[in-house]
Amino acid sequence: MSKSIIFSLVFLVLGFIMAYSYSLSNQRETENDFAGAGFFEHKEQYRKELIEQQERNKELREELGDKQEAVQEFERSVVDGEENYTAYAREAEELRRFLGLVPVKGEGLTVTLRDGDYSIDHANPNEYIVHESHVFQVINELYISGAEAIAVNGQRIHGNSHIVCTGPVIAVDGIQHPAPFTIEAIGSPEVLSASMQLTGGVQDQLLNDDISVTLDPGQTIHMPALLSEMDTGGR
Amino acid sequence: MWISILGLLLGISLGLLTDIQIPAEYTSYLSIAVLASLDTLFGGIRAHLQQVYDDKVFVSGFFFNIALAAGLAFLGVHLGVDLYLAAIFAFGVRLFQNIAVIRRILLTKWSEKKKLGEAN
Repeated sequence: MSKSIIFSLVFLVLGFIMAYSYSLSNQRETENDFAGAGFFEHKEQYRKELIEQQERNKELREELGDKQEAVQEFERSVVDGEENYTAYAREAEELRRFLGLVPVKGEGLTVTLRDGDYSIDHANPNEYIVHESHVFQVINELYISGAEAIAVNGQRIHGNSHIVCTGPVIAVDGIQHPAPFTIEAIGSPEVLSASMQLTGGVQDQLLNDDISVTLDPGQTIHMPALLSEMDTGGR
Repeated sequence: MWISILGLLLGISLGLLTDIQIPAEYTSYLSIAVLASLDTLFGGIRAHLQQVYDDKVFVSGFFFNIALAAGLAFLGVHLGVDLYLAAIFAFGVRLFQNIAVIRRILLTKWSEKKKLGEAN
């Protein structure tokens, strides 16, 4: 009896070892069937992650769209609401435009100021280069004749802008610009160019100072917004 | 006899159902263990046919050979010598010899029986 128990033990071990070895080698074979099974696994995993991310992105985009729609709805309701609110909203929009908080575009006038050509008559280069006072003159003239927005070399001018002459360049709000200066103004092109060309007006004075002035009315001008409200001087 | 067959079936089913993962470098131990057990098994059959069979020798040989083969392979891995090749070689040769002996014994028995039948 003990003999058969011992035998059964022996056969148990034998069967176990053989079957285990068999299943193990089988497993390894199926793994080796794909050269680099791990690679595929990784690929699958990454793909899954990518899909998850894309789905999440889509959800978020939808959410964003909903929110934007809600905001627009709200604004529309404000505009469609009481007369006062409409007026306030329009005024706010207008003021924002004047403050330079929104990008604007429209017809207007482009004035280009260039240093005058070197000539033997002028020993001092100060006599024919563009100074900040010239830029001031042009900007002021344009504002007086109804310009709604002005930019110097693409930089918006606002209520607290300062223009400083620093040697051969001009600093507008601390950002240096070299000549030539392109001063863009949005407004009625005819009015703006007419006011620039008044007899004895700004253009004549500038030409008198040996500065070449180019007027280019009627262009559609795009202006960027100021970066933030801080740019307007803390308001 | 039936209990041993039951044990074999139980062992096979256990082995197939086991889901333990072992590292790839240990599979050589397992193959050596398989070889050792097969060798002992055929050795036992041969001994039985030669009427020199002994329980103690068979059982102790079975387990001891497995352990020895695995131990040798283990030692070989750690020494950097492919000792498991020696085990495989030794067991393989003995396996073939045992099987050859069994075949011859069976053949002799069969021919004797045939002769006996003809004589009758």
